[in-house]
Amino acid sequence: MLEIDRLSKRYRDVIALDGCTFNVARGQLLGFLGPNGSGKTTTMRSVFSLVQPDSGEVRWDGKAISADARLGFGYMPEQRGLYPRMKVATQLAYFGQLHGMAKEHAVEATGNWLERLGLADRADARLEELSHGNQQRVQLAAALLHDPELLVLDEPFSGLDPIGVQDMIDILVDRAAAGAAVVFSSHQLDLVEDLCEDVVIIAAGRVVLAGPVRALRSRSHHRYLEIEVAAPASRLDHKFADLEIIATTEGRITLRLDDDTQLEPLIRRAGELGKVHEFSFTPPNLSEVFREVAGP
Amino acid sequence: MNAWQAIRLVAARDFWERVASRAFQLSTGLTVLLIVGFILVPTFIDTDSVEEWTIGVVGEAPRDLAETVDLGAGDAATVDATSYATRADAEAGLENGEVDLFIDAAGTIVVDDDTDAQLTTLVAAVLASMEISQQADELGIDAGSLTGLFSGGLEVESVSGEADSSDGDRAFAFFATIILFMSIITYGSWILIGVIEEKTNRVVEVVLGTVRPHQLLTGKVLGIGILGVAQVILIGVVAIIVLSLQDALEIPDAAGKVLIWAFVWYLLGFAFYAVAYAAAGSLVSRQEEAQNAAFPLTLMLMAAYFVASFSITGENPVLRIASLLPMFAPMTMPLRIAGGDALAWEVAVSLALMVLTTYGLVRLAGRVYAGGLLQSGSRLKWREAFRASES
Repeated sequence: MLEIDRLSKRYRDVIALDGCTFNVARGQLLGFLGPNGSGKTTTMRSVFSLVQPDSGEVRWDGKAISADARLGFGYMPEQRGLYPRMKVATQLAYFGQLHGMAKEHAVEATGNWLERLGLADRADARLEELSHGNQQRVQLAAALLHDPELLVLDEPFSGLDPIGVQDMIDILVDRAAAGAAVVFSSHQLDLVEDLCEDVVIIAAGRVVLAGPVRALRSRSHHRYLEIEVAAPASRLDHKFADLEIIATTEGRITLRLDDDTQLEPLIRRAGELGKVHEFSFTPPNLSEVFREVAGP
Repeated sequence: MNAWQAIRLVAARDFWERVASRAFQLSTGLTVLLIVGFILVPTFIDTDSVEEWTIGVVGEAPRDLAETVDLGAGDAATVDATSYATRADAEAGLENGEVDLFIDAAGTIVVDDDTDAQLTTLVAAVLASMEISQQADELGIDAGSLTGLFSGGLEVESVSGEADSSDGDRAFAFFATIILFMSIITYGSWILIGVIEEKTNRVVEVVLGTVRPHQLLTGKVLGIGILGVAQVILIGVVAIIVLSLQDALEIPDAAGKVLIWAFVWYLLGFAFYAVAYAAAGSLVSRQEEAQNAAFPLTLMLMAAYFVASFSITGENPVLRIASLLPMFAPMTMPLRIAGGDALAWEVAVSLALMVLTTYGLVRLAGRVYAGGLLQSGSRLKWREAFRASES
């Protein structure tokens, strides 16, 4: 298990981390969320000792992370980068060896991953000759080659096309199922909601919300009410003017209510406008929860 | 994986990736050709009669052209240069024998049937070497001193035959100093650029997730350094083969002790400056800033070279002090050892300082490199980078 324990870090007068604490268990796929500048990258870098926290500790299986333990981790930094003039297969084998693999194992794993990512025919191409999407695939392979026990990915979905996104999802799910602890940051909250059971949300260097997505949603004191009724937008606005209106379109209105709001009077009110086609009362989705806790 | 394995992996990558690069293969090939040219040209020249050659130039004559060609011609000829305003004037001059050949505005050498082939070869070689000077200029060495380097090397060979043994030893030691100087100038900038490579490619985070910064730097210095030394050896071997093929090989009259010391100091000096260039490279994150960061080193190197070249005739206080300081010792101590002036304790202290400073520089550079990693914007001050990292 990876334990991020009360990490704090400041750069001159900017506080990057302020007691950030959370865990990632083996087999868990954790979404790590937060607005820009909230400390996600600093947290991930501190796992690899690229940042020295001012206080707090990062532990793996209960122990401070040694250089040897770190070799068993895989990292895909936000700033993607490999050697542009190096051949794809040579490059991957090199990274495998840097992670402590014997040369023949690294070469073998390189072959397997290139096969799996559909890049077997580009093994002898220089990295710079590949398309952007394929370079991203190679970058991912570099993080996975040595079968890491812990996989840390900073914005793995950014810059991927829909097929690339699906490949990435499959691989992350697969790695977690194989027993690796997987943590990744992302701004694509719909995707995170579908993919992860658990999320951690940080803002200004502190964890503001953590837990299973479902629980976080229902724990919110807000509910969203969507009503579809045969009536023009202006009449809808007028009818519900005393409540918090999120959006209105022709025949459809979205309201934000407290979770203990009585619904019967609202159904009746809607019925006065015309025939009600839909009336749904739901907890906020992940991006709404995110905005509630991390918004300005 | 232990530290040595990490260093070896990094070194092997840096070595083989460069060997495989077209740029390296071309530059090695051209350097070998140039060296062969420099050896062959003087021997083409008939030493019995002294010719008088005049070179025409369309437009302004390059600085020192006539002098340099004259130097290359040695005792065989005296060389002058004449300027022409237009190409037509120059052609007329060539036809009526006013000049033996001329260089047109585009740098093409124009000859006629009467032109001495030796002169043509010589001018071609000089123009090529001026190209080198120009590149040296970009490194911050002025062209004049580079020319001095080449002619200095030639003089050494002519002196060594008749001088007494300690002079021969000094001449050999100075020759080794020149080789060291040239090696550092060339391969120092390779290392400088190589160290910044990971930052410009942004691969640095992935690499430093597995190896420590000082291991990465040590590996790079070793990989590129060994390649540099191998290239020097290759060029040296080619030179020896060409010289011995024409029976012109004069083994400098140097004692074995001097030879071994020259080699030891060459390696130490190369290692010291290689690490120093790596440290300079660790301060910056963009290639454009590299030469600025290395400027103090280039100055130090020039100073060391000048102290050595002014002291070739014998011991002096400046030389004595310089030979104890790590940045000057590799270029000055061999001279003193060759002259028999160095005391045993001086050599020991100088060696110890050298090794310790080199090691200290590796650690310092690693720390600065790690500290500067995340401030990929502007150039870091040493102190800031040092404080930014604890490793």
